[in-house]
Amino acid sequence: MRYYGRKLAFYAVALWAAVTLNFFIPRLLPGNPVDILMAKLQQRGGSIDPSVRRTYELLLGSNSRESLWSQYVAYLGNTVHGNLGTSVSAFPAKVSDVIAQSLPWTIVLVGIATVISFVLGIVLGIVVGWRRGSWLDSLVPATTVLAAVPYFWLALILVALLSSTLHLFPIMGGYDVYFTPGLNWEFLRSAGYYGVLPALTIVVSSVGGWLLGMRNMMVSTTSEDYILTAEAKGLRPRRIMMRYAARNAVLPSVAGFAISLGFVVSGAIVTEQVFSYPGIGSKLLQAVQNNDYALMQGIFLVITVAVLGANLLVDLLYGIIDPRTRADS
Amino acid sequence: MFLRSSRRRASAAAVGMLAVAMVAAACAGSSGGSGTKAGAGDVTKANTLIAYTGQAGDYQLNFNPYSPSLIGGPGTIFESLFFFNQVKDVAPAPLLGKSYTWNATGTVLTITTRSGVTWSDGKPFSAKDVAFTLDMLAANPAINTVGYAGHAKATDDTHVVVTFAKPSYMDGPQLLGKTFIVPQHIWSAIKVPATDTMAKPVGTGPYTLTDFKAQAFTLTANPKYWGGPPAVKAVRYLALAGNQSGADALGAGQIDWQTGPVPDLAKVEKTYPGYKAITVPLNQMALFTCSNAALGCTGPQTDPAVRKAIYYGMDRTQLNALAFQGTASDMSPGLALMPRDQAYVSADLKEKLAPSSPQADKAKALLEGAGWVKGADGIYAKNGKPLAMTVKVVTGWTDYITAVDTMGQQLKAIGIKITAAQVSWNEWADARGQGHFELLIDSLNGGPSADPYYLNAYFLSSLNTAKVGKTANPNYARFSDPKVDAALAALKSIDPTKTQDRKVQLGIIQTQVEENMPYIPILTGGTTSEFHSAKFDGWPSKDDLYAFPAVWSRPDDAQIYKHLKPTGK
Repeated sequence: MRYYGRKLAFYAVALWAAVTLNFFIPRLLPGNPVDILMAKLQQRGGSIDPSVRRTYELLLGSNSRESLWSQYVAYLGNTVHGNLGTSVSAFPAKVSDVIAQSLPWTIVLVGIATVISFVLGIVLGIVVGWRRGSWLDSLVPATTVLAAVPYFWLALILVALLSSTLHLFPIMGGYDVYFTPGLNWEFLRSAGYYGVLPALTIVVSSVGGWLLGMRNMMVSTTSEDYILTAEAKGLRPRRIMMRYAARNAVLPSVAGFAISLGFVVSGAIVTEQVFSYPGIGSKLLQAVQNNDYALMQGIFLVITVAVLGANLLVDLLYGIIDPRTRADS
Repeated sequence: MFLRSSRRRASAAAVGMLAVAMVAAACAGSSGGSGTKAGAGDVTKANTLIAYTGQAGDYQLNFNPYSPSLIGGPGTIFESLFFFNQVKDVAPAPLLGKSYTWNATGTVLTITTRSGVTWSDGKPFSAKDVAFTLDMLAANPAINTVGYAGHAKATDDTHVVVTFAKPSYMDGPQLLGKTFIVPQHIWSAIKVPATDTMAKPVGTGPYTLTDFKAQAFTLTANPKYWGGPPAVKAVRYLALAGNQSGADALGAGQIDWQTGPVPDLAKVEKTYPGYKAITVPLNQMALFTCSNAALGCTGPQTDPAVRKAIYYGMDRTQLNALAFQGTASDMSPGLALMPRDQAYVSADLKEKLAPSSPQADKAKALLEGAGWVKGADGIYAKNGKPLAMTVKVVTGWTDYITAVDTMGQQLKAIGIKITAAQVSWNEWADARGQGHFELLIDSLNGGPSADPYYLNAYFLSSLNTAKVGKTANPNYARFSDPKVDAALAALKSIDPTKTQDRKVQLGIIQTQVEENMPYIPILTGGTTSEFHSAKFDGWPSKDDLYAFPAVWSRPDDAQIYKHLKPTGK
């Protein structure tokens, strides 16, 4: 039990440190929300009358004379109560509402893409690793090249090819605006259709990593003695590949997968920007561009909690699966 | 959707655009579907205008006309008392107000309001709603964006009397033209008007909100509108992914109206068949200088001779061609907007317009007269310090970046070195407000009506500036001149109809500005809009500039929607 207690304490400290950084890092950005808001409105023909600025200062509360310390204490208190504050860039919406609106898009898109990429990478990795030395090995450099190509470039190429030229997929957006978001068949079908291309770009650019890791683990597992034993017993090669080699080789990848699931909520900022997808990544960008401290903090908090949570889960599961990890406790 | 659009694509083969098909489906859906409202059933594809205001990413529902993050409503849903044309000096057009008069000292404003107007929920409109709106602004500083400081009283159903403590002629256009009247019977129940998002806005305007989604919303003609329902039956606003997408959507015929430059402006009618473009000069581009050493500015630009030498060193013809696609136009060194304020340009100005070609000899005389000496490298210097400055410019604002780079080469020829420093928008806005810059490139904007007073009051008054390190709002150049301050104060108490008296005061300001040049004139920037002229008639033109034709300019957009007639194509 002490093992779990120590783990939990460690994660509590990590969470506090992350939350504290969340508070201070956005405040190191130059500028303040009112100036940005004024500059943006001015671009759109907004009035630059001095009284406009004064009203916005009052409205957004950015002329507070509160010290950084008392702001920090209030922030910790609010965070504990789940009150993330009001977004400046989406004023007067609450940060929790903005996040709740955009998070499902990201979780579904990036989540499904991550799962597909993982499964595809693992399966290919098993086959390529099992038949090492054959022509299948050329899959490794081929997918790594795709992973190494800058993501935005790959995405733009696919958009140019599949959307602009062949008209197979929509260029951008999360769904056809004709449908009302909700649990109705037409909307879900539209959202699914709009998600294919962004998901495809994520899968294409990340499958190489899983494939490479799995293939290398397969290669080292197949040289183990128990594989030799299995072969000597005359088991079918497929059974040896799946039950003996792959099952053992997949362990590190599963740990990596759990952690990458944590990162799903941070979204794929570039993906969402390229496709103007209504997810959390585009909201984060919007927050940074508008000095929207509250929204930035809220999104960082969600990401932090998700990543720490995924790590904690892996840690605890490993403690159960592999008793060696808690041996010296 | 996939099946639907490919089927549509086949039927719309003549148009040949998937995007068009998708929009067609969307439009047909919003009118023929369950969202049809009584009295607005005649919405068709041909009388629906699709506007793109530059919205990048999702719309956040907000139709509160007093919220900074509103996405629409002023002019279309909520009306002001009058419409002031900011691009042409003409009499204000009556909307909810029929006429107004000032007393002799400019302290009492009497407004006659229109009778027989109803709110879109059927309740009657009266002068009491006007008084209520004004009282609400006075009671809530957080929404008083027009700086209203009077006392309003509805004397009967069609008259409102507003009393001010001091002469307030110049507050008229804000109050009459930019204050959007809201219904008392709804807003009196709202506790905090600043944060209400008005999900179901009720106004008197020509349009009502009928459909809102995060990526598009639709305004439909108000069947009860006092001026009769407009011919454009619906206006649909789309959210896209930024400026590049705007040009793409225009190319695909996806939108009918957008504001912003597109590649190769001169050939718009060829590149986008059925579309036309109009460029209206409204923003005066200038190098803003942190000019006032007394308020903490440092650098060579605190010397007026340097600022004027830069003014003479620019080759504006070349700048216009290289950076602005030839859309910019002449600018007056007295900061009167050309050609709108032509009548106000002072006869005492040394130059009526900023020179279009460089005047190296004048620049040389100015610099040498101020004690600058040319060094071996061809750059002037004084007390061992070279005449070199940085110009802050926002990353990605390609026209300004090109302009500054071009200017750098032009000024090098007269011995001044300027370098562009690209910074993020946030950093730039911060530096501009706090005065942490030597030079920066930006434009000077006017106010609520076609009157040079507002620009002068905003950017030149000592009241609107601050020491370096404190936020100036918006006299960023930190210019301070007692003569200008006195003239601005005098203008506040001169009846706007006494043009001759006003010209004297405006002339004083213009000559002082030319003499000191806190904002170094570059050119007057044009705002370019592209619109679907084959689908609608009656767009503003150079000869008939009845409103500022920028799709994001409210309430000008409502004037244009009311003016347009679908051609049926």
